[in-house]
Amino acid sequence: MDLSVDVQLDLHRRMVRIRLFEEAAGRLAESNRLPGFLHLYVGEEAVAAGVCGALNDDDHITSTHRGHGHLVAKGGDFNRMMAELMGKATGYCKGKGGSMHISDTSLGMLGANGIVGAGSPIAVGAAFANRYRGRGQVAVAFFGDGSTNIGAFHEAANMACALHLPIVFACENNEYGEFTPRDKTMAITDIVDRAAGYGMPGVIVDGMDVIAVHEAAVEAVERARSGGGPSLIEAKTYRFYNHHGVQNLGLKYRSDDEVAMWKQRDPIFTLEDRMIENKAATRDQFDAIWAELRADIDTAIAFADESPYPTPDQIMVGVYTSMTGAQ
Amino acid sequence: MTTVGIIVNPNAGKDIRRLVTPATHTSDVTKVGIVRRAIVAAAESGATRILLMPDRHRLAERAADGLDLSGLDSSGARRDCVIEIVDEPLTGSRFDTIAAARRFWKEQVGAVIALGGDGTARDVALGWPDAPLIAISTGTNNVYPSAIDGTSAGAAAALVASGHVDIARVGRRSKRVTVRIDDVVLDGDEERHVSRDDLALVDLAFIDAQFVGARAVRDPSTVRAVVAAVATPASTGLSSIAGRVHPIDRWEDGGVLVRLGGGDGRRVRVPLAPGSFTTLDVAEVRPLALGENVEIVGKCVLAFDGERDVPVSERGRVNVRVDKSGPLLIDVEATLNIAARDRRFDAPSHSNTDGDHHGH
Repeated sequence: MDLSVDVQLDLHRRMVRIRLFEEAAGRLAESNRLPGFLHLYVGEEAVAAGVCGALNDDDHITSTHRGHGHLVAKGGDFNRMMAELMGKATGYCKGKGGSMHISDTSLGMLGANGIVGAGSPIAVGAAFANRYRGRGQVAVAFFGDGSTNIGAFHEAANMACALHLPIVFACENNEYGEFTPRDKTMAITDIVDRAAGYGMPGVIVDGMDVIAVHEAAVEAVERARSGGGPSLIEAKTYRFYNHHGVQNLGLKYRSDDEVAMWKQRDPIFTLEDRMIENKAATRDQFDAIWAELRADIDTAIAFADESPYPTPDQIMVGVYTSMTGAQ
Repeated sequence: MTTVGIIVNPNAGKDIRRLVTPATHTSDVTKVGIVRRAIVAAAESGATRILLMPDRHRLAERAADGLDLSGLDSSGARRDCVIEIVDEPLTGSRFDTIAAARRFWKEQVGAVIALGGDGTARDVALGWPDAPLIAISTGTNNVYPSAIDGTSAGAAAALVASGHVDIARVGRRSKRVTVRIDDVVLDGDEERHVSRDDLALVDLAFIDAQFVGARAVRDPSTVRAVVAAVATPASTGLSSIAGRVHPIDRWEDGGVLVRLGGGDGRRVRVPLAPGSFTTLDVAEVRPLALGENVEIVGKCVLAFDGERDVPVSERGRVNVRVDKSGPLLIDVEATLNIAARDRRFDAPSHSNTDGDHHGH
């Protein structure tokens, strides 16, 4: 399989959209224009873009506390996302969810999740429903390395394999659970070593290489869609910013050299350089894409700024489901 | 001093081929167990110093954890064996293997045990071209390495490193595919000519692709040509293409070039990955004498020993030859047979349990 230029440009666009959204959100948070916590996805773009680029619009994903990137990669609307982060009534959750509950069920994005590990069982539920309905949809659970120490992950993996469900477990192994290195919290290095214990194949890919992630995702999604059952992709990746925000609490739990080393492997610039070498795109073309998407971000910020906050009479609206509107 | 070096590739046996084929997953725990058995057996068989490659997974530390190798050798004499994890900067990539092999060369290691697939053995050869090597298969395509238990490998390595078994009797020079790449790359807006030398121990494949991506070659239609130093129909992977049309034994002089695509109409079924078969059209099969040069030009990605690695531009020229300059591959079974005949495994007449080495 060699990817067409259109697919390459699509993956690139998804990554640039994530990068620009997150950089803008970071700037707004640093200037106290966004309430609450903000976990930025900068550096990990190749994972969401590579996986979501392999999905159909009606496939489902569940996300994490670091969830903006997943929604952007699934096609999320900048205006509604930025409004949600600002707590405005025009946001995806009418301003009541914020960063860690952002979702768009019309895109199959079943929600970011403030509880570590909580997204995986939801994805298993979606996968079960998808098979029950027989529409050929696939579910993807995005989760971090740290969440595989949580019971919910193990229950989800076990049930998915026992029921042979159409699901892909997409692990974003960024080597840290909040501020704690992975090797302080688990005796294994590769999350993929856990896959065999449940009876599913697991593979490691370079999470800084969107092509590598996409190749693996295409295979895993096809396997799930064709009845082959669950699989686990472990993408080795890295977040360029801190656990939350840009500067976080100023804690030095990673060396400057380590951060700099990973930044040299920036997934977006790596793809751009390779595509230019391959004569699949030009620098001018990429500059135009960045400029176009920057304008979209500016529009989204203006939209969110100008949007109203939810009024007190809306406090109970959209909080509980009627159980009739599931996609 | 009798020194044995051990390299374990933490990344071997975990790539994308597990999604598309029934290829084996090799866990870290499995690798740690093999290394631990090799350490104990090497100490038991005369190693006084065991050097381990450091790795980001800390496999070496885990394998050595808690081992007490002090004790008596088979003659009843007191002998200690020290374990050292060599101090090399870690990259978390294949360059750790290359650096460790180079370091072992510098440290005059008597025998190297390497755990991985064909790619790992290639990296050892890049770091130490003449390495006296026991290659244990823990990878995906394992044409060069063999399924050997760590216990046997450790014992054989120590017997060779100590000189108790002469490497001239049990070591054979393996073949390799020697590669010279001349290309033009973009450096900013400037074009720059680059040349590099490289090698494969089993096969070099020319892939119609733009990216290295997930490294494994999964789409058979993208394989343009294969130059194989070892081509056996009993293997899986790219070398099996050549192996099924023109087998070349591991020790046979020469190699083979196979070009794929429309040709004389010959078609062949090959296991391009473990447990996964495909049909390929063969355009040309050309036996290669040792040292015979083949030049292939044009855009491709070069796959070394089964993994996409080096992109080549449309102006690139790749010169390839099969020669006999690979590592010195140690025959484990022959080594242990010689040692047994020489009564190297005999215990003192009054056994002393203080001399027992256990890996648990």
